[in-house]
Parts: sequence; structure tokens; C-alpha cells
Amino acid sequence: MRRCLLCEQEFIPPIRFAQIFSLKTFRQPKICFHCLNQFEKLTGNRCSICSKMMEQGIICADCQKWQKKYQGEVLHNFSLYRYNSAFHDLMLAYKRRGDYVLREVLQELSWEYLTKAEFDCYVPVPTSPEHRAKRQFDTILAIYGDIVPLTRLLAKKEGSHAQGEKNKEERLKTPQSFFVDKTIKIKENIQIGKVLLLDDIYTTGRTLYHARDCLTSSFPGMHIESFSICR
Amino acid sequence: MEDLTLLSGRQWIANQEDSSILEDCSKVPVIENHVCNRCGSKVECKLPSGKLYCRACIGLGRANEGDLLIRCHRKVAFPELSDGGMTWRGQLTPLQQQISDKLVINFKQKQNSLVHAVTGAGKTEMLFQLIAECMKKGKRACIATPRIDVVNELFPRFEVAFAEIGIGKYHGREHQEPNLDQLTICTTHQLLKFYEAFDLLVIDEVDSFPYVGNEQLHFAAKNAVKKDGVRVYLTATPTDDLLAEVKQGKIQILKLNRRFHGGLLPVPREKLFIKPFLNRQGQIHVNLLSEIIKVVKSEHPLLIFIPRIEQIQVYLAALRKKLANDNVKIAGVHAQDPQRIEKVAAFRQRKYDILLTTTILERGVTFKNVWVIIVAADDPIYTADSLVQIAGRVGRAKDDKTGLVLYCYHRYTKNIRISIKQIKEMNK
Repeated sequence: MRRCLLCEQEFIPPIRFAQIFSLKTFRQPKICFHCLNQFEKLTGNRCSICSKMMEQGIICADCQKWQKKYQGEVLHNFSLYRYNSAFHDLMLAYKRRGDYVLREVLQELSWEYLTKAEFDCYVPVPTSPEHRAKRQFDTILAIYGDIVPLTRLLAKKEGSHAQGEKNKEERLKTPQSFFVDKTIKIKENIQIGKVLLLDDIYTTGRTLYHARDCLTSSFPGMHIESFSICR
Repeated sequence: MEDLTLLSGRQWIANQEDSSILEDCSKVPVIENHVCNRCGSKVECKLPSGKLYCRACIGLGRANEGDLLIRCHRKVAFPELSDGGMTWRGQLTPLQQQISDKLVINFKQKQNSLVHAVTGAGKTEMLFQLIAECMKKGKRACIATPRIDVVNELFPRFEVAFAEIGIGKYHGREHQEPNLDQLTICTTHQLLKFYEAFDLLVIDEVDSFPYVGNEQLHFAAKNAVKKDGVRVYLTATPTDDLLAEVKQGKIQILKLNRRFHGGLLPVPREKLFIKPFLNRQGQIHVNLLSEIIKVVKSEHPLLIFIPRIEQIQVYLAALRKKLANDNVKIAGVHAQDPQRIEKVAAFRQRKYDILLTTTILERGVTFKNVWVIIVAADDPIYTADSLVQIAGRVGRAKDDKTGLVLYCYHRYTKNIRISIKQIKEMNK
């Protein structure tokens, strides 16, 4: 019996056949079947660049704009879930209320993909210092830090507002607020290596594109992709 | 500086670095020995710094280890009014009057009471004289209930009955700046914001979710009353812990087993279904549909209770399809519905003929002439208490004392049996 982190009800985690005979330690589920089912997986026809679910077509409207803006130099993003109301509530509780243990739910959702991913380096999108001070933790770092080794190449300037508080237009107009932290020691192969940017939600793509621009200006040879749990 | 008088009787969290000196306030660490002083829950979760934080009351702002809980003890005197500010001029029935008088006496003698009254007994009216007595002395009172819908229902009634008293209404769906009100009407969750504030605390529908069995809310209710304050519980189905307190002599029980109009509680009709209520093609069971059509033809508004939120949409679609030609207006409502308040109000004004609902409307709400059908009354979500409450929505008006309560089930459960037994017993 375990207690679900979201609905507080007790549940019995399903046992898989492989789990009984395997010597590996399996990750214990943190949320119950019902709560897990509320998160909607991205399926069917998806944008070939940013993973967004679409009725038809190959590239979504957001990505077409980015294609124009960056002359085809788009950022390939992979996401797992749709940003539905269940996810909204989860992110609200995690980020706005600062319920730190909920990182375990987000870890559970992204664990499988990230442990199989093969990148030379994982770079988290940084939180603004003010928000970090207020919450007393870094939201992105807290999720991914336990899953993959992180290289904190990026930092965020003070006084930049959170994307979540703006509407779509304001989001897109947000100026660059990231800079490369020169004090971080990096492995040599990273100059030309494969890098995965990590964020929680991909809404307009503004944040992740800024993060990528910031990295490419310092490391032009880098191959950069991104991962966010939600699209 | 803020006017602290407005915050009298309230408690809030302050950062440790905040060294402002607040008059008439006490400061305690919000988390002590792994227990949250605001909500009484055990605290286990930690931030990366190793500091504990309370998850149970995080909705009111995170309580971190090291933070302080400020409690304002400033004394406030409200004007003493000879009639207690009561503008209600209605008449109680002799049975109601008896209970009402007893409540006033118990308040004077600082005796806690439990009013066990059948659904539709007119509990709200029986409170008026008690509240007036409290107001008369310039004292402060609070009526708390677990349900937001009940708060929204009670508030306008008290506004009319106590036109001369400042009444505050607080619940989580509406932002309201803290104010100093002589009478507060709020959800039981809001009580977490108060500390030794009230001379009289009335908790309506004590047997309902989320208050029942919730230690956090019981802790809050205990903290919100003054040390020498009085508590009054109202319920149609008393819980075991309250009955235990009655036995220990801590609470006096007052029973009223007649509705205010003197009529009997409608006894539910039961109907066994073999096939599913909705088949694979999303079509509604013919017999269920015919029952629904019968109610619609009788021109009674109909509440249909559905056990799970996600089924509401499915039933809604199925019913709309079947009843499309008959010009029947149908809506569905549930706890997460953003338009919940508007839809309930519209149903009350007869703008809908049928309202599909989850258990959120099981209690505390009155719809004139309403009839009720419970789909899947055998679902474990319906306890005997909630079935009694749902049945109690029917026949509440003086000119329409009876009505239809229909349990549709596949399996006759213990809860169905007990609920019917309880209703019949109260009718004796």
C-alpha cells in the first residue's frame, strides 16, 4: 500500500512480471492509476519539430513562425504529455505553491524517456534568482537533477518575469534573459557535442529558443535539442 | 502599517526575518516537533535545505520550518443591539421553537449542542434566535460548513435575516480581503485562518465531506473558537465521534424528527436494472429514460445524481440526443466546473429542466419542487448518509410535501438498505 501524492488515497501499485524476477531495483510509483490516467499522453499526428498534437499537417503554426524567424534553424523539441487541466493543477501546486515533493510526480512522468536518452550533456533551463529564493528550490533542477547528470551552463538575469504570468503575445515579446555561466567547467567534447535542454512546459517555445540562442552564441558547434514534459 | 483591528482573531504566517513588532499579537513557530501549528497535521516533507514544510495546508501559503505563526489577540467590542440586529420576522413551528429556545439557553450556559434534525426541518431558521442572542451581547459568531454551495446558499438568507449586522463571506473560490465581521459565514477550510476568534461557532452539515473524518479541519474548528466559546453542530445524520462526545456529556443532543411543514420524508423507490445504464453505443437504458421522461412530463425539475465526474458528459450527451425533440433543457455540474455556481442558480430559476450532478449537491441546497433520480445508487461513493441527504432534497416545500426519489441500482447494497431504514425510522 502506498499513498498517492496527488489524491492522498491509498493504492496498490501494479506489479509487473519482470519486476519479480529482475535483480534491478524498480522505481516505485508515486501516484495512483487514476491520477496517472488524468495526464494525457501526446499521441497520433504530432508536429515533427515540437511534438505538438495536431489534427493534420506536418509542422505546427508555432514552428512555422520559428522557421521564418530563424531561417529554418528550428529547435527540435520532444514532449510527452499534453498541457491539460490536470497538468495545469499539478504545475500550479508545484511551482506557485511550492510543493517540493511533487517533483517526484514529474520525475515519474519523464523518467522512462530520459534514462533512455543519449546526449553528451543535459542543460536545465534556469529559474530566476528571485523565484528560486522565494520557493527555496529550483523547479527544473529539482525534477531532472535525480535522473540525469546536469551541466548548469545557463543562468538567468535578475528581474526577469516568469513566462507563466504573461499572455501569448507578451511571452513572444520577452527579451533574452539568459546568459552563459562562464564559471562552469565543461567537458571538451561539449563544444561539438549533443546537448539536451530541459524545461517543464513548452508553450510558445520562446524560453527554449532563447536558451538555445544563448548556447549557440558561445558554442557554435553544439547540436542542441530540447525536452519538456508538456506541450 | 496594516490596521491590525481588522485582523483580530486571525492567524497568518510571517517570515522569520520579518521583525516588525505587532501589538496584541503572539508569535509561535509554525512547525514544532514535526507538527504544523496552523493545521495540526504531521509534517514530513522537506525542502532541499532540509527544512520541513507542511503539505496539508499549503493552499493557504506554504508553512516552512522556521517561519512564525502570528496570532492577533486584539479585543474588539461590537455594539450591543437590543434585538441582536435581527430583521427576520418569520414564525417558527412549535417544534422548531423548542429547539431554538434550547439553543439560546445552552449558549448562555456555555453548553455545546448537537442538533439532529431531519433534512428539510428548517435548521437555518432555528439558528436565527441563537445568532441574535450572540449579536445582542456584542459577541462574534461564525457559521462554517464544509461545502462552498452551502455557504453561497446561507449567506443571502442571513443577509436578509440580519440586515443590520456586518456579515463576512469567505470561501476558496472567491477572493475576499480579511475583514472584521461580527458574523462570519465560511467553509470549514477557512477556519484555518482563525485563532480563538469566535464566541459562537456553528458547524452546519458536520457529517459531510471534507469535514467528516478530517483531523485537519477538526483541529481548525477547535482552534477557531475562544477558550470559553460555544460550539453548535447541525446534522441530519450524526457521526459516531459526535455521538461519542454526546455520551461523554460534552455535547447536548437536540432532536427534531419532523420537517417544518410537518410532512414525512419521502421514502425512496427502488428499481433494479439488469443491463447497464448506458450501453456500449452510449444509449441510455430504456426504463431509466422512461422514468426521466415521466418526471419531465410532470413538470418537476429533476436532479439526476451520477457517481463520477467523467460520466456527467457521457450521460449529458446521451440524454440530449434522446430528448432533443421535446425541448428539454439539460445541464451538468460537478465540483471542478468553473460555471458551477451559475448553473446551480440557473437550475433554481427553472432555466433547466434537468440537472446532472455529482454528490456536490447532495446536501444543504433547496430547489423548489425538485425530484431526484440516483443513477447507480449502489456505487460505493454513496454512503448511507449521503443517500439520506439526497433523498432529503425532495418535498421540502409547504405546498409540495412529497415527491419522487428513485434509486436505480444493479446490486442491492447495505448502504441502500440502511438509508431507507433510517428514513423510515425518522418518519415514525
